[in-house]
Amino acid sequence: MPGYLLGRIAATIPVVVMISLLVFLLIHAAPGDPADLLLSDEASATDITEARHRWGLDQPIYIQYIRFLANIASGDLGTSFKYSDPVIELIGDRLPATVELAFASLLIALVVGIPLGVFAGAKPNSWADNLGSVAGFFGISMPSFWLGIMLILIMSGYFNWLPSSGRSTYGVAQGAGFYVIESLFSGNSKAAWDGIKHLIMPAIALGAGMMGLVMRVTRSSVLEIMSEDYVRTARAKGLGEHTVLWRHVLRNALIPVITVVGLELGTLLSGSIIVETVFAWPGSGSLLIAAIQSRDYPLITGTVLTYTVAFVAINFLIDILYGVIDPRIRFGR
Amino acid sequence: MAWEIKMKARLGRLALIFMASVASATLFGAARMAEAGGQVTVGVTETIASYDPYADSISMGYAVWCQVYGCLGLYDYDKGDYVGMLAERWEVDEADKNIWTFHLKQGVKRQNDGKEFTAEDVVHSVNRINNDPLSKQKQNVSPIKEVVALDKHTVKIVTKEPTASLLEFIFDRVIISAKDLYDKYGAREADRKYPWGWGPYKLKELMIGQRIVLEKDSSHPDAKSENPDTLIFNIMREPEQRVTALLNNEIQIAQFIPPHLAERVKGGSNFELQPASSVEIMFLAMSPKYKPWNNLKLRQAVCYAIDRDLIIKNVLKGQAKRLDGPIGAGQYGYDPDYAQKNLTIAYDPAKARELVKASGYDGEPIYLDTPVGRYINDKEVTEAMIPMLNAVGINAKLRTPEWATLWADVQKGKTPFYYMGRGSVVDPSPALSQYFETGGSPRIGISDLQIDKTLAAERVTFDPIARKKALNAAFKAIEDAAPACFMWRHQMLYGEAKNVEHTVDPGGRVFGTRIVVKP
Repeated sequence: MPGYLLGRIAATIPVVVMISLLVFLLIHAAPGDPADLLLSDEASATDITEARHRWGLDQPIYIQYIRFLANIASGDLGTSFKYSDPVIELIGDRLPATVELAFASLLIALVVGIPLGVFAGAKPNSWADNLGSVAGFFGISMPSFWLGIMLILIMSGYFNWLPSSGRSTYGVAQGAGFYVIESLFSGNSKAAWDGIKHLIMPAIALGAGMMGLVMRVTRSSVLEIMSEDYVRTARAKGLGEHTVLWRHVLRNALIPVITVVGLELGTLLSGSIIVETVFAWPGSGSLLIAAIQSRDYPLITGTVLTYTVAFVAINFLIDILYGVIDPRIRFGR
Repeated sequence: MAWEIKMKARLGRLALIFMASVASATLFGAARMAEAGGQVTVGVTETIASYDPYADSISMGYAVWCQVYGCLGLYDYDKGDYVGMLAERWEVDEADKNIWTFHLKQGVKRQNDGKEFTAEDVVHSVNRINNDPLSKQKQNVSPIKEVVALDKHTVKIVTKEPTASLLEFIFDRVIISAKDLYDKYGAREADRKYPWGWGPYKLKELMIGQRIVLEKDSSHPDAKSENPDTLIFNIMREPEQRVTALLNNEIQIAQFIPPHLAERVKGGSNFELQPASSVEIMFLAMSPKYKPWNNLKLRQAVCYAIDRDLIIKNVLKGQAKRLDGPIGAGQYGYDPDYAQKNLTIAYDPAKARELVKASGYDGEPIYLDTPVGRYINDKEVTEAMIPMLNAVGINAKLRTPEWATLWADVQKGKTPFYYMGRGSVVDPSPALSQYFETGGSPRIGISDLQIDKTLAAERVTFDPIARKKALNAAFKAIEDAAPACFMWRHQMLYGEAKNVEHTVDPGGRVFGTRIVVKP
């Protein structure tokens, strides 16, 4: 097992390097000059030349890339052109907000999607199945930005139930780091509730797509497993339907669900970019948008690399989780 | 069957719990209206990128730091002239027009420690703008050759050449930061831990990308009891979000309401719209470096071909003021009589057709480039222009490149025909020089002797009446050469809660001292 883990970790390194090269080349190839975009409209040609020199943009592209790789090797993602702060600090400040949003979305997706899928699979062509299918297709087909805007309009605009944007209310708490989780653990219920109120709509907007997918995959998986011999045996032994469904069927039905969740977690991270913009959520997604708009090369590459490493790590963890869920994999059968 | 009944009951209970939770959110849902002298939250579109007051060059940044640190002076749109903030009065040397002397206000105490504002802080600030590696404001001090403290409260600024529009460069934009704190702690620590200035508001909290919080310094002479004690800028880029937040009472002022959302704000009983003409000039630029724009008659034809009043009425919903000449009311040098007699180009498609024919234009396709989402209804406005141009015989098509791409090309002078805005035009001299003077910038690339002569003349004319005349002569020269058609200035719409009285700044800046919270 340790050898397997080390091998997997080693295999991720060339992936990250290749992606860093690809992103680096793509953003440098894109039209638009950071100095033009970040300096004032009234900046002189001399100011622009000076800025390009300060940022190393007057160097040949291969020199810039080598410098970039050397910095990464020492754990330095560079300094943002726009914010003038180390990229690693900027991402560190904003990433918790994105992780919290992604976690909340995942929770919604699983808590709603799995039970709906189980009910639908257990009783095909029933009202539960139809309800589940409608919810599933709605989630999959609805663009997250549109759903977000509709949620703002309805839940904030018409009903005034929830705040329309941002992560926290001034005066309650600063709303940084893992705001909701830290507030809950520290017993600050006012801050926790404030954070949750701000989190609900963006989490729904982001999680709806995954909820639909989870529901559909769970339903298919349950349908397939319900006809297995061991399920018939469990019923024959006199076990209640509830026990058969939740103890025997669900555990095996979760295997493809875990695969899908693992693959979709990357989509959650990338999908958060749009949702963060709609809700003015101060996460790394909205940071990336601002970086792209201003061609802030270090910040773009740093953020994309962070997402890449996160995606690779998540998939790695999912593979390990397989072994926990399915003993056949653990014992190599 | 029993299982189904249990499931239904369970789902019913879950539904009840969900509805109760959502309903309980109403207990905490609405934010409060602004209390008298209390807290006012503004939904804004820009955010500053750093604690360093010189690291941004955006309206938002200048507004925030002017209120916290202080500026030498500001442009007062009501008076139509510059007024001092930290400077009390100033004069230009009669013998040598390069020498400006600024007499500073005395006894101005800094926030938190009461240290007096002095001339060395002004000298330090100008030098820091030039030398700070993070500075994006060097253009603000570009006319300055030297700055010297003559005594504790007097500063001498020597310009590189006579510059009548010096105040346009340094008022509103040169932020005065503390020399002693910089020397003691260095830039980074001084900016982050000791952002102490001589403005009426203190920096309470800065969460970059989220919000900026200012707290009133009640001991400051400009801070009145009816001004908000706390002023919060919440970053909300999407206009629908700002409007929803306003109607939700989460914010009390929403910046830049687009015309199509104005009715939503008007529909709210506790809210109203406050308009103000912006100081951003919208124009169509035509670069004579490229065919067929090297033909004066064709450029003139474009100006006659566009029905600006129709576009303002139908596309901009009346929320713009047509420009007759490069500037409008409230901008320095504007003469309404002169503009009406000499600078007005009326919509005249027949004349446009004659000019197109006379130009010898052969019908080759030409592309009008416009950004999308950068300016109010930019795409819609240019979409309306295309058939107007086609109707007079100009084979125009629309292109909508991404902003970064378009701006890069405009900066390099690679865009022959484009729709654009030039913001922050109070004294038009620097802007006109930038776009229309030979060597100003490659953006249009026109070289016209009469334009150069008139712009050079107004720059060295210091008498206000004579300068106004000289500026208008420059406007005429620019219109005659027609490198651009001046379209309009947008009406900026601010949505505001009725218990908040806000004097809107046409420069798009929000100052706490211009907000009164009514009890």
